[in-house]
Amino acid sequence: MTSTRCERIALDDLTDYAAGELPEAEAAAIEEHLYSCADCGARAAEFDSLVRTIGPAVRSAEVGGFVTDAVLNQFARDGLRVRTFALSPGAFVPCAVWDDDEVMALRLRADFGGATEVTLSQRVAGTEVSRTTGQVDGSHGEIIYATPAAGVRQLPVVEVEVLLIAREGDAERPIASYTLVHGGVLHRSHKARGVS
Amino acid sequence: MPDTHATLAADSDEALARRIAVGVPGSTDAEEAELYRRFAPRVRLYGRRHLRNDSAADDLAQDVLLLTIERLRAGEVRRPEEIGSFILGTSRMMAHSEHRVARRREALAARFIDPVVETAPISVTAFDAPRVVPCLRALAERDRLVVLLTFYADREAPRIAADLGVSPGAVRAIRHRAMARLRDCVLGGARP
Repeated sequence: MTSTRCERIALDDLTDYAAGELPEAEAAAIEEHLYSCADCGARAAEFDSLVRTIGPAVRSAEVGGFVTDAVLNQFARDGLRVRTFALSPGAFVPCAVWDDDEVMALRLRADFGGATEVTLSQRVAGTEVSRTTGQVDGSHGEIIYATPAAGVRQLPVVEVEVLLIAREGDAERPIASYTLVHGGVLHRSHKARGVS
Repeated sequence: MPDTHATLAADSDEALARRIAVGVPGSTDAEEAELYRRFAPRVRLYGRRHLRNDSAADDLAQDVLLLTIERLRAGEVRRPEEIGSFILGTSRMMAHSEHRVARRREALAARFIDPVVETAPISVTAFDAPRVVPCLRALAERDRLVVLLTFYADREAPRIAADLGVSPGAVRAIRHRAMARLRDCVLGGARP
């Protein structure tokens, strides 16, 4: 049995359309069809629902990973509380989040030497506890890694070594390491009462 | 007794429009709700593209559909068989007008008041954040970042390309792949 559903407007078309990247004539043609075709209209409704949920999902502060300043700026516009640490190679810094922080952002400075794929490895007492690999642009001497503050709050008082490793084919090359000394959660209400 | 919603869902757009046009006020609530259910997402998507603001897109969908229903009731839609075209035309007219108002509002705001923090859009959606969060996490780092920059930070491909050190064409290809994976993951998670 063959499907008779109209497939004229595909997901890629809707993605380009919603991203505002189609020439006017192409966008207008898509609009004409979407408003007259029930099948494609239903697909557009599903796509609209998906796109609209991305913002609330990100604002829930449960999604981390490599980000850019544009994402951090949008966090700020959305009123998310972001605790930022700017770290140079070899840094050994006390690190804590407040009880109402939502995101922790690490600005990791290093000489990336043209590396386009980087692994961020977090280790406690020499044991790797998390590993994130992604393509990054380190040409400005810095990458940004965001992580939900809720996860950081659950850490005990502990030293976490953050290793940046360049991946070049099958080979790995250490770029820099940083040490975060987690000192537990800071309570804003205690501070207000003068309790340190 | 037939299920009104199921019956209406099988009707054409034209049939709904004609029934609203000839019905006495208050007798076509179900038809009006069905017309709204069908077209509001399309108008919202249109609004997202042209107004670049989810809240404004929500308002546009509401305004366009209310006006459409008013015009139908008043017998001012001459070709109910082309109700989709009528709604598109109304979307264009109202978005253009909203665009001008928004520009004037922004110019005034820039002069006289502090920037306002936008709130999350309030709209009826089929998906919710808890379902989308694990799917966003499951994307490859770069794929997720492109999705966030496009649909959260509202950046266009050339700026994303500059931020990531890749070409605009590569951004587009990454975005296609990422949205397909995100959709598959969210729909997959929806299945029992």
